[in-house]
Amino acid sequence: MSDQVKKASILIVDDEKGLRIGTQRLLEDEGYEVETADCGEVGIRLGTSKDFDVAVIDLKMPDIDGLEVLKEIKTTFPNTICFIATAYASYDTAIQSTRLGAYSYIPKPFTPEEFIYQIEQGLKQRQLILEALRLKQEREEKLLELASEKSRLNTIIKAISDGVIVINRNEELVYFNYAALRFLNIRDVKIGEKVVEKLPKEISEIIDKIISKEKILLKTYTTQIEILPNNELIIEAACTPVPNPDGSLAGVVIILSNVTQFKKIELIKSQFVSMVAHELKTPLAAVQGFINIILDDSLGVDKEKEKEYLTRSTVRLRSLTDLVNDLLDISRMELKTKHREIENVNIIETIKSTLQFLEFELKKKEIVVDTNIQENLPIIKADVSEITRLFTNLISNAIKYNKESGSIYIIAHQENSYVSIKIRDTGIGMKPEEKDRLFNEFYRAKNEKTRGISGTGLGLSIVKKIVESYYGKIEVESVFGYGTTFTIHLPINQN
Amino acid sequence: MNLADVKKILLVDDDIDLLEQNKMLLEAKGFLVVSAESAEEGFNVFQKEKPDAAIIDLIMEQMDSGFILAYKIKKTAHGKQMPVFILTSATYETGYKFSVSTSEEREWIKCDGILNKPVVVEELLSKLESYEVVPKSN
Repeated sequence: MSDQVKKASILIVDDEKGLRIGTQRLLEDEGYEVETADCGEVGIRLGTSKDFDVAVIDLKMPDIDGLEVLKEIKTTFPNTICFIATAYASYDTAIQSTRLGAYSYIPKPFTPEEFIYQIEQGLKQRQLILEALRLKQEREEKLLELASEKSRLNTIIKAISDGVIVINRNEELVYFNYAALRFLNIRDVKIGEKVVEKLPKEISEIIDKIISKEKILLKTYTTQIEILPNNELIIEAACTPVPNPDGSLAGVVIILSNVTQFKKIELIKSQFVSMVAHELKTPLAAVQGFINIILDDSLGVDKEKEKEYLTRSTVRLRSLTDLVNDLLDISRMELKTKHREIENVNIIETIKSTLQFLEFELKKKEIVVDTNIQENLPIIKADVSEITRLFTNLISNAIKYNKESGSIYIIAHQENSYVSIKIRDTGIGMKPEEKDRLFNEFYRAKNEKTRGISGTGLGLSIVKKIVESYYGKIEVESVFGYGTTFTIHLPINQN
Repeated sequence: MNLADVKKILLVDDDIDLLEQNKMLLEAKGFLVVSAESAEEGFNVFQKEKPDAAIIDLIMEQMDSGFILAYKIKKTAHGKQMPVFILTSATYETGYKFSVSTSEEREWIKCDGILNKPVVVEELLSKLESYEVVPKSN
């Protein structure tokens, strides 16, 4: 007998004291746990308060009939195995007690062996019932788990921002989420519908390819599709075959992601590269043109002209070098935002050294520089090479676009939590439409007054990049024919 | 040789070096050259000079200044009867994808050919020749 059976609990309901005590002792000797009731009332109370494995109920008791006790116990604990013990066995009571759920009869008087045998049979039955119950419960729990697992998966797939579409090998729709419909710009699809015709050609071709393959290749096929024109919605579709456990093709899962932003960045980059290429080619074309003319004997260029053309070629080559340096600066700056060398920068010192650096240009055009810098101007935290670059570009512009014997005014002071630096020139100034495009890459004001001034078209866009990378501001005022003022605000204590 | 036989060519380019070079090349081949340094000036010179052909730089004040000037010229009665060429270093290799090889492109790019910088004079001459714009020596 197993431990479990030995610990089985048994209720004896009998008004006959000798029988009660005798069976209790007998059962306890067998290792059972026994409780007894001396009347029907106590029998009902005990039998409905605890799920006994077995109850043995005397049929004839003075207060309550054994069948009544049976009924009450069975109503509360239908799995308690109940025996009716009686000396007055009759066909009628047998039928009645069976109907009420009794397991069997124990006719009185009985021998201990007979009694124990019956109890053991009853316990076996109880084991079977409990086992079946356990299995049933387990199955129900599993189903519940599966159902909740499915709904959880559903919720997850519905919540992700990528589109998901699953089709079976008959090209019928098995699953989809709403992101998929949004990305494909389709509405109104039904599960089970032949959905392939509604999908973009690029995707349906891949699906055909996957389904028509004899051997399933666990490989993802991707394609990019312009869903809305003018690059408004571009999606990437990744189609992967789904295998059955036996390795045959079950269907195809299609993941759709919105790549519009990436494409836009890509476009901006390629436009920039195109512009760079154009800007590099133009001075080369000019130099090549001069050389071609000098080499062409039929044109008969004289020595003087030849020297002029070579000098002009040198100017173009120098501007080409400047352009390459500016481009390198831009790419260095893009890297530098990651690892800059931040230190205390003294604005006054930086401006002074920049003016020294540009001394030759200043003298050549006889330009006078007038500075008005507040004493004890706060130190700012920045990469000194970037701040130097900023002033070099602005002051060299103020020289280049100035008139002969013109002036440059540099005014610097603290304004709240900013250091403000104004650089004003008495040069050619700008027309309003030129001002608007000033900071665009490769933009150079072109008018009757800018003729002969060389530049890369990148200087001010570099200035703006530097200022903005320190969370600063740049402003420009200009009067065409009279001069331009750039004002820079750099935050103090900015890391 | 009558002076009226000399073919007049309008050159528009905001790059003064390239403008001077092309002017020199064309003059050496026997053309009369009138020039302008901007699209606006180019149109004024066109109206005043009524040239036999125009060669226009694409990227001047704007990315498409050359196209716009060509379009304006082609809208005039005189412009319809003369070839207009766009001159550019913005070629396919540098990422600008256009030509005038399809009828669709001809429809919106109102010009008769694209020329690359620096100009190869033989190429330019054969283009002009195909529109019967030939220098006086021929």
